[in-house]
Amino acid sequence: MSFTVTSEMKNGIAQFTLVGELDAAAAGGFKAAIEQAAANQPKRVVLIMNELTYMASAGLRTLVFAKQKMGANVDIYVIGVQEAVRETIEMTGFHHSVIMLDTYDAAEIGDV
Amino acid sequence: MKPITVPGTLVSLSLIRDYARTAAAEAGLDKKRTYRLELAVDEIATNIVNHGYQEAGLTGDVVVHATITAHALTIVLEDTAMPFDPRRLTRPEQIDLPLAERPIGGLGVFLAIENVDEFRYEYVDDHNRNIFVVKRTAA
Repeated sequence: MSFTVTSEMKNGIAQFTLVGELDAAAAGGFKAAIEQAAANQPKRVVLIMNELTYMASAGLRTLVFAKQKMGANVDIYVIGVQEAVRETIEMTGFHHSVIMLDTYDAAEIGDV
Repeated sequence: MKPITVPGTLVSLSLIRDYARTAAAEAGLDKKRTYRLELAVDEIATNIVNHGYQEAGLTGDVVVHATITAHALTIVLEDTAMPFDPRRLTRPEQIDLPLAERPIGGLGVFLAIENVDEFRYEYVDDHNRNIFVVKRTAA
């Protein structure tokens, strides 16, 4: 299964919907989308991951890239992550650096 | 299982994962252990493609071979890049660093080693051999 990323910007929030398998071959596309969004200087980043079935370390490195590109004060929300992907995020300690939510919570994210 | 030979490029990663997934199904691994094996094999294959071949200006293939015994599934990745033991790259202490401060690298190898029961490396007859072993019964 291939990978697609769609992005939108609203209320100062850069939102990305990730679908499919995010491996090293696909990470370039995600990174490019992050770079493009960073130009708009979002206050927060939201990653919708309900349909992301696979994520390799290349995907995790793109999260590091996002944090470094957007600035350490820009929170990254990871929404609806599947169990296997969650395990990878937790195994590598990345859950300490992002905010993980089961569902999109507009109040928590500050989307008002 | 019959081995497959794929070009050492990023496009081949999904083929290598497909092979690992098929082998896991034949060995009767559950969903979780299948995913973990796929991830382990994918991470090392990524390093072979990126560091072993592309960064070194080399081209070559990756041979993937699965063997199933009564107790374990073993997958071997073979390549013809320069000798490189990926275990040299693991730096687990970085796991505690905040995201914004992390150096890049070593993460894939960490995931590879953590996600199988046994990971071995050997260099035999001018080939790197990365070996992943998963027990067929959950430990």
